[in-house]
Amino acid sequence: MNSALIIIDKAPYGYENALSGIYIAIASLDKGIQADILLMGDGVYAALKDQSSEKTIGYPSVGELSYSIFPEGNLFVHLDSLNQRGIEYDDLVEIAELIDDKTLYNLSKSKNHIMKI
Amino acid sequence: MDIPKENSQNNKTMVIVLLDGPYISQYVNIGCEMAEAALNLGYGVKIFLYMDGVHNLQKDQNPRDFHNISYLFQGLIKKGCEIKACIRCAVSRGYQDQSQFLDGVEITSVYDLAEWMLGDSKIITLGG
Repeated sequence: MNSALIIIDKAPYGYENALSGIYIAIASLDKGIQADILLMGDGVYAALKDQSSEKTIGYPSVGELSYSIFPEGNLFVHLDSLNQRGIEYDDLVEIAELIDDKTLYNLSKSKNHIMKI
Repeated sequence: MDIPKENSQNNKTMVIVLLDGPYISQYVNIGCEMAEAALNLGYGVKIFLYMDGVHNLQKDQNPRDFHNISYLFQGLIKKGCEIKACIRCAVSRGYQDQSQFLDGVEITSVYDLAEWMLGDSKIITLGG
């Protein structure tokens, strides 16, 4: 089976990248590709729960949209990036999975495609 | 450039995803140069325009201070490069239909990018 890792490293609002990256993951899963999302750097903010972007800035909630890849796809959150920003695991959406550097290395090796959006 | 015999029969394809529009960065030029090199080596090349990348194929570009980027894409299309653009991104940016783009570009959905990922291809994203 083909596989892909979509890396998002930009904050979910102010940039279109997070939303567009999730759309690529959704389309990939629809085609039978084992697609996962990795949030790293400021991209980890996309996994915060209780985002209110629809009410406040009229933009889709990236946190809610991330559920669209579940359960076929995984939403990985880079552990170091999370710690550096003082965010706790309990602050994240339920489908978020923490990933450390070693596990990320092995995950990357296993993927056919790696796309940084 | 002559196509080396060892590469002329392969079925491998390079897929380039362009995220930036023209002129704001060098990514588009680099992507086009990579595409041309791959085509000259006998590889298939496909380009998917995503987010601001859809602006690259807009007709009637007329930069005063830069080379017109659309000429690069026209050359790639003539060499057999397949180019598609995301319809969601295009509509968001005010494009109404195909007529606003260079001939040879197909406006389609991101599901076609996923389709390209299924074959014997390698994907590179540039920009963003």
